Amino acid sequence: MKSRTIKVDYLARVEGEGALFVKIRGDKVEDVKLKIFEPPRFFEAFLRGRRYSEAPDITARICGICPIAYQMSAVHAMEDAFGIKVEGPLRDLRRLIYCGEWIESHVLHIYMLHAPDFLGVPDAIHLAREHPQIVQRGLQLKKAGNEIVTLLGGREIHPINVRVGGFYRVPTRSELAPLLERLKWARDAAIETVRWVARFPFPEFEPDYTFVSLRHPGEYPFNEGRLVSNRGLDISVREYDDHFTEEHVEHSNALHSVLKPRTPYFVGPLARYNLNFDRLSPVAQEEARAAGLADGCLNPFQSIIVRSVETVQACDEAVRLIERYERPAEPSVPVHPQAARGYACTEAPRGTLYHRYRIDESGTIREAKIVPPTSQNQKTIEQDLWQFIPQHLEESHDKLRWQCEQAIRNYDPCISCATHFLKLDLDRE
Amino acid sequence: MHEASLMKHLMRKIESVAREQNATRVLGISVRLGARSHMSASHVRDHFAPASAGTVAESAELKIEVLTDTSDPHAQEILIESVEIAE
Repeated sequence: MKSRTIKVDYLARVEGEGALFVKIRGDKVEDVKLKIFEPPRFFEAFLRGRRYSEAPDITARICGICPIAYQMSAVHAMEDAFGIKVEGPLRDLRRLIYCGEWIESHVLHIYMLHAPDFLGVPDAIHLAREHPQIVQRGLQLKKAGNEIVTLLGGREIHPINVRVGGFYRVPTRSELAPLLERLKWARDAAIETVRWVARFPFPEFEPDYTFVSLRHPGEYPFNEGRLVSNRGLDISVREYDDHFTEEHVEHSNALHSVLKPRTPYFVGPLARYNLNFDRLSPVAQEEARAAGLADGCLNPFQSIIVRSVETVQACDEAVRLIERYERPAEPSVPVHPQAARGYACTEAPRGTLYHRYRIDESGTIREAKIVPPTSQNQKTIEQDLWQFIPQHLEESHDKLRWQCEQAIRNYDPCISCATHFLKLDLDRE
Repeated sequence: MHEASLMKHLMRKIESVAREQNATRVLGISVRLGARSHMSASHVRDHFAPASAGTVAESAELKIEVLTDTSDPHAQEILIESVEIAE
């Protein structure tokens, strides 16, 4: 056979790892499927046989945007198994590093991914051309979060200083001091962010959600608390598996998590906000009220405001934690592994992150289960589209596609870090 | 973790080259893997088989060159060098 060689010299890039399939017949939506192609990564399987102490560093690799969430859920689950309580300045440092992660993750989504949707520009690069000062503010604000994670975690991405029982090294007061001024600036910038995004035009859309998040007796939740919902759920984290289950659906490689028997639910900033408004700091509450969210927020498009309010909260909390910090004598408390099961939920930027481990008497992990926020929100994302699309059927194909993208981006799904978006397949007759 | 999606992109390019050339069959594909790229040669082969099934490139021969220079500016890249088509 004759053949010819065509010179290509083309670089392969990571393609969209998700797609949305919508089937419309006349004025009826007949099917909605959020397909996630990203292959399973088998983290739960390769944790088996590893030391308990490796869990925070291995699971941190699950996400480059929220490694702290994985580290925090891992260490708290191990400490639950071994009966350890981490208190005082070590506990504060864990809240502080989580503040850093919330700031960097939320600001990334607000400025780089979500705001362009509302301003009618395709991405942050175009936004920077039209509003350079605003994008500058976003980048500086994000950097403040990165600096916290770098100082406490050893580096900004996949930090390596967190361990079961505390940290490998804790900072001195003078090392933390330079962050204080920066975070005070960041708090002001976050307040300006709330005021900026509150003016965006939001479609009217308020579904009847089941919100789930942690709730702590006195704090806006990070690492501790009971799991509660707006429908009366109030359980300890150890009861998680009695109330939630993961289902495999054919069209997605990510499992769908539901409240038993089969109720979709919503985790993340909107859920935390609606269930914990009274735990926000006064300045965050004040900004939320001024933004018109005093009575809660049911519109997922307004999650950009809630994310901004949570950024104010994180900056404000970080300032408080640094001001009262006294370096502990030891960077961690002693850990004595034993055969046990450990459970933890913490509040990742995108929502509740559940870890469960079974450890044997030598401290080896025998079983691991991890339920990330995006798999918990998947079903709710599909439900939103079932409701949202019929109200917008008169829109052009391109406009509808753009609105669907936006409806998904409301959840800051993990897949959005791999690609600005997924492929939309609108089957319309 | 991005093998499947890298392969999807690769396939898209191969199919578009075939289309531009009005080719009905792709016989061979030359790929260069940087020393720090996200895929090994066996990864590429494993993912190519299902990704190419039913396409113009089904059962095409893969020629994979694996580079060893970690300081090469393209060390992280996967490059499709050329596509051999049937005439």
